[in-house]
Amino acid sequence: MATVNLWAKDGYLSTPDGNSVYFWGFSAEPGGPAQLPGPHIVAREGEAITVNLVNTLESEPVSISSSGQTNVTAGGRPVGPQYGPGGELVSFVDHAEPGGGTVSYSFTPTHPGTFLYESGTYPHKQVPMGLYGALIVRPSDYDPAIPAYKTAYGFGTDTEFDREYVLITGEIDPGLHQAVEQGWPYRISKFKPRYWTLNGRCAPDTMFHDDVPYLPCQPYGAMVMGVPGERILMRYIGAGIENHPLHPHGQHARVVAQDGRLLRNGGTDCSFKRFTVLVGAGQTYDLMYQWSGLGYTLRSPIPTTLPNRRNMGIGEAGWTMWSGSPYLGVKGDIPVGVVSFNEFGEYYFMLHSHEEPQITNWGEFPGGMMTMIGIYPSLNPRVGTLGMG
Amino acid sequence: MALVVRNLWVKRGTVSLPGKTVPFWGFAPSDTALPRLPGPTIEVTVGDMVFVVLWSNELSERVSIVFPGQRSVWVMSGLWGVRKASPQYENGRMVSLTDFLDRSAPGPIAYVFNATRPGVYLYESGTSPERQVQMGLYGVILIRPQGYSTPTDPDYKTAYGAGTGSRFDVEKTLVLADIDTLMHEALASGEAYNILDYSPDYWVMNGRSCPDTVRSDRDPAMPSQPVGSSIAARVGQRLLLRIINAGFQNHTLHFGGLVGRVVAGDGYPLATRAVDASYEKTAITLGSGQSFDVMVTPAGPGEFYLRDRDYNHLVNRDSFPGGMMTRLDVAP
Repeated sequence: MATVNLWAKDGYLSTPDGNSVYFWGFSAEPGGPAQLPGPHIVAREGEAITVNLVNTLESEPVSISSSGQTNVTAGGRPVGPQYGPGGELVSFVDHAEPGGGTVSYSFTPTHPGTFLYESGTYPHKQVPMGLYGALIVRPSDYDPAIPAYKTAYGFGTDTEFDREYVLITGEIDPGLHQAVEQGWPYRISKFKPRYWTLNGRCAPDTMFHDDVPYLPCQPYGAMVMGVPGERILMRYIGAGIENHPLHPHGQHARVVAQDGRLLRNGGTDCSFKRFTVLVGAGQTYDLMYQWSGLGYTLRSPIPTTLPNRRNMGIGEAGWTMWSGSPYLGVKGDIPVGVVSFNEFGEYYFMLHSHEEPQITNWGEFPGGMMTMIGIYPSLNPRVGTLGMG
Repeated sequence: MALVVRNLWVKRGTVSLPGKTVPFWGFAPSDTALPRLPGPTIEVTVGDMVFVVLWSNELSERVSIVFPGQRSVWVMSGLWGVRKASPQYENGRMVSLTDFLDRSAPGPIAYVFNATRPGVYLYESGTSPERQVQMGLYGVILIRPQGYSTPTDPDYKTAYGAGTGSRFDVEKTLVLADIDTLMHEALASGEAYNILDYSPDYWVMNGRSCPDTVRSDRDPAMPSQPVGSSIAARVGQRLLLRIINAGFQNHTLHFGGLVGRVVAGDGYPLATRAVDASYEKTAITLGSGQSFDVMVTPAGPGEFYLRDRDYNHLVNRDSFPGGMMTRLDVAP
């Protein structure tokens, strides 16, 4: 039986504009930092899993609930709502008391897919504060060594993938976080996010690798990387309390599943293509992204018009991710004074919230809910495996 | 196929929200009854010719009713006879999306339509809707398939007829909305209100905020909000949630941890003879005015809180629990 241990803790997030934001998050180690999002939990369809939670917060209970997982038990009994002394609802499921209390959840996933786990206690506060993460359930026949069995939803479901990426959306209102830190009244009616996150990071930090040492509480990068023709599985999870229209450039994507359920009825394929998917609060979407843009093949580089180089800029004026060449894998000249972050002649496409005010950090563009999709001439096969950016 | 008449009166009233009593404008089912939030449910059958008669208008402004999703609405009134319902203009300016009832107008106005398709729909004000819908002038129309009440009919107890995956054991309509109580107070007392300042502070299901949502129907403490939202079902029963958003915000209705199958959107079944395009979800986002029918079949007993996954809407005056949330009790 698989076992996952989580500790609910507090910590500080780093934002690209130099801010430091108090938050609550889950940690995988008793001595490790709280992290945003919490550690990815990877389970397997049909295999029992136990999630042990230790609540180190001093102020209030914490719980974990995951929509779509039924038959969850705690202490041998089905989980259920928890009430305070006045009969008022405190938690949707069994919780761990503050100051070191514990709770142990057990369940057996009945379906493969992408799910959100989050606190079910005072969720108007604890979820915006950061107590959420991804639960990935592998199909029972999952075998990454055999392409036909390296799937999101099982053999024969047309969900084979070469690389996979989890992208979790969220929002941060630093004023509310400060209120929690200082013990001031928590007034969710004043909710006004200033940061919009992918995997707990704001752009351009989204494009850094996993586990960069200067973001100890935000270990997951959000850069999507692949080579032409590969099937790239993007698992969108809406962990915040707002909806976000995520839009990848370069290629439209096919939505193959929602909320951990394959879009297929018997022999009928109900998947659909979209260039923007509204990632609704608390919901998940599995997308297959396959870049084959403009008829590219290895023998036929792309005959493209040079883009306006000003449009290739990112970050500071004079920075670019443009290679200087329209050909994949070929680098060209960059004007003097321009810094290129393109190392291998790869292509970059933005992936961002189409609610454009959200691609800022406290109003400063670029930032926020934005990352890049990198299409490389070749790439280490270990890139795009869970836990590696 | 029948001729069905439903009578409505537009009145001023008050609703009880946790910690606050708020004025509202609503539809009443009779001359002597209190107005209701939401308005009285109009339940008819496919093939019916439906007359919705607006008898009087207590407000100091015009009132009308529009029927989103219904084809060909006609209007009957004393002066003009029968005509197609249409937008109303004054001096070249539109003043109403449809024919209206003035406060001083003689006699009632009747809206007439043929119930052509089964489903769950809204009826709502078509005059200054940015104010009147918010003030409470909305309600639900349930249109049943023809064999709905006949146990031997394949359409019996279905929402959309046989073959649509909509046969249910338990049915519950949840009308979602958001309320800006400052706006209600301003408009009820005739003060100016800038709709750009719209900022809801209560979130309701069937006109009530949690914990009032789980209190019984016709609770005497809430005479203008007679519909509770608590749901009781047994393990294995087919529970049909008919969710419709009468608010101005989008809301994500979360099925309390259960998985539901979306069988219809905006009154269109997703499964037809040609293709089954229904799909499973743990929550669904509804834009303003949209509806979804979701079939939930609980596999085990327990208490489940159906709620707005926009967790900032689960509060009353910043205090959890509250807002747009109710409880489903599943018995063994």
